[in-house]
Amino acid sequence: MRGWGAALLLVLLLASPALAAESGGISLSDIEKEIAGAAAKPYSLGGFLEFEPTLFGLDREAAFRRIRQFEKGEGGTMEQYDFGLRLEGSYRKDNLSAFFRADGQLRRVQDGWTHSTTLMEGYASLKPHPSLVLDAGKKAVKWGKGYAWNPASFIDRPKNPEDPEEALEGFTLASADYVKSLPGPLKTVGLTGVLLPVHEDVNGDFGVTGHLNGAAKLYLLLYDTDIDFMFFGGGSRSNRYGFDFSRNITPNFEAHGEAALVTDAERRSIGPSGRITIRETDAVSWLLGVRYLTEKETTWIAEYYHNGAGFKRDDLKGFLDFADNSYEGFRRTGSKAALFRTSELANGPFGRPNSMRDYFYLRASQKEPFDILYLTPAVTSIVNLQDGSLNVLPEIVYSPKQNLELRLRAGFLVGGKDSEFGEKQNDYRVEFRVRYFFQLP
Amino acid sequence: MKTIAAVLLGALLAAGPAYGLDGNEILKKVDANLQPESFESYRKLINVEPNGEKREFLLFTLKKGKDKLISLFLAPASDKGRGTLRLGDNMWLYIPNVGKPIRITSLQSVIGGVFNNADILRLDYNVEYDVKGMKEEGKEYVLDLKAKTDAVAYDRLKMRVDKGALLPTRVECYAASGLLIKTLYFKELKKFEDGMVRPAIVETDSPLYKGYKSYMVYAQMKKREVPDEYFTLNFLPNVGTIR
Repeated sequence: MRGWGAALLLVLLLASPALAAESGGISLSDIEKEIAGAAAKPYSLGGFLEFEPTLFGLDREAAFRRIRQFEKGEGGTMEQYDFGLRLEGSYRKDNLSAFFRADGQLRRVQDGWTHSTTLMEGYASLKPHPSLVLDAGKKAVKWGKGYAWNPASFIDRPKNPEDPEEALEGFTLASADYVKSLPGPLKTVGLTGVLLPVHEDVNGDFGVTGHLNGAAKLYLLLYDTDIDFMFFGGGSRSNRYGFDFSRNITPNFEAHGEAALVTDAERRSIGPSGRITIRETDAVSWLLGVRYLTEKETTWIAEYYHNGAGFKRDDLKGFLDFADNSYEGFRRTGSKAALFRTSELANGPFGRPNSMRDYFYLRASQKEPFDILYLTPAVTSIVNLQDGSLNVLPEIVYSPKQNLELRLRAGFLVGGKDSEFGEKQNDYRVEFRVRYFFQLP
Repeated sequence: MKTIAAVLLGALLAAGPAYGLDGNEILKKVDANLQPESFESYRKLINVEPNGEKREFLLFTLKKGKDKLISLFLAPASDKGRGTLRLGDNMWLYIPNVGKPIRITSLQSVIGGVFNNADILRLDYNVEYDVKGMKEEGKEYVLDLKAKTDAVAYDRLKMRVDKGALLPTRVECYAASGLLIKTLYFKELKKFEDGMVRPAIVETDSPLYKGYKSYMVYAQMKKREVPDEYFTLNFLPNVGTIR
């Protein structure tokens, strides 16, 4: 009786005009067919095309400008045009899957064209058990909770704090990831082990060659707090120990932190004559940050970063004095030898983003102001707390159509003589990035 | 005569399972009728702009128990590979480029537009809301729902429930200030793989986005039991491999 009643009710309901009302031209059957096709497809291939012209406003008095462009004219601006193609693909069959991401770039600067192709990641995954994932190949593991910096990300390339969400090139490695869910306050335990060989032809830029390095990470979700402990050892770089955490204090307020102890970290300093002194000392780097979403949907991200292995003001001053002396020597004698040496250092340790001791990062982004959908203006600033120099990066990201993203961004560098941002090559830059995303059927 | 009346009454009772239920019991039945406790689904989210232009997102979702949920964007190309994980009030977003999950809140939107994370990672209503009041209006119950915690995206819901089917027909979502944020309309009953009958289309409009409409279209939904370990940060980058 109950069954008949329910059946009758079902028939009535399926025919009910109130529930089967007009649905804005949405065809359920078409969507069902489309989803059935997408659900069954074991592969994917897509990516994006990119075009990015950039105008640099050069700082004629800055040390990095003199080092890098000592033979160039006195032009106040420089143009650069980048054309990029990213391809990403994946394939899965049973418990085996494979993934790759590759970038191709064509760049036009005043000297002419350059090009590069990079396999960013390419690895195979095997899942012999729901708790276990084995990966082998080139992969970026991206440890750490910091947004702009990750001192405890021991086996990744450093990210660009001005663009921390951009993909990173990985290293060739093998990893095993074991995870277990538990009842109670400790909800998840995860253990990741990584083997990273370093030879001339494999990961040669990671560190000292001829070593098989090991790294491990223990992850805990304890009392709604993400906690990680990391370790790296093996010989290509000195031993490192790390820790991070992340927690929502309130639904809209997240706090995170990260710390790393690098044993025998190399600290370089340079005298005005170019003599480099290297000494080894343990260095502790750490970071504290918050992310806050206001009722009006402004997202604030703030981080303080102490780079224990970073340069002190005297180190930078020594380098800049050497650069000045080298440039003056070139002007007097025409000898480029010292400038080439300076250039090497400028493209190495002294030219790396945020290579000094103490920084503050602040970013504010507003989702869809004035009810303009798919528009996000933001402003970011990185302040060197030692010398007070800073950069400011206002930007607007807009997606006028699905799969099309436009980003207009400027960067202004502010700082006096002998300061980090004040001695950079540019005073400002303006860039306009167009990305068109595609997915092959 | 009495016998006929008794039979008719019996039939009505058989078809009307909500008789004698209080508001919270009705809400639990609504939840059970909308989705199994553990399931996988494929959904399409469609934002229709005032000029008629559409933006479409395809999502794969796995839910287990009361508070474990993962979603993966399969399309469009610009969002493909983004994954979200929810464990109770904890929510994370995984962006392939960024490579590591970041904590998010239910109020944010991972895709922009009218849908926010709470819509995409919705748990059962009875997990997040208590029924504070109930009345009957014609063929519908009207439930007044209050969020159990301030971590829930909408502070109050006014849910209209079809008395016979015990399925929602309309849900109004309010902020704590009393501001109407959006209204959901449940449409197009469809029989899914496991025999479940539920609305296949959830249409949304919002006074905050005048002229815009959004649709969440359920094309596949079926019961699926998966290990707890799939609902972890470690596994989030691998969700695409278990579809």
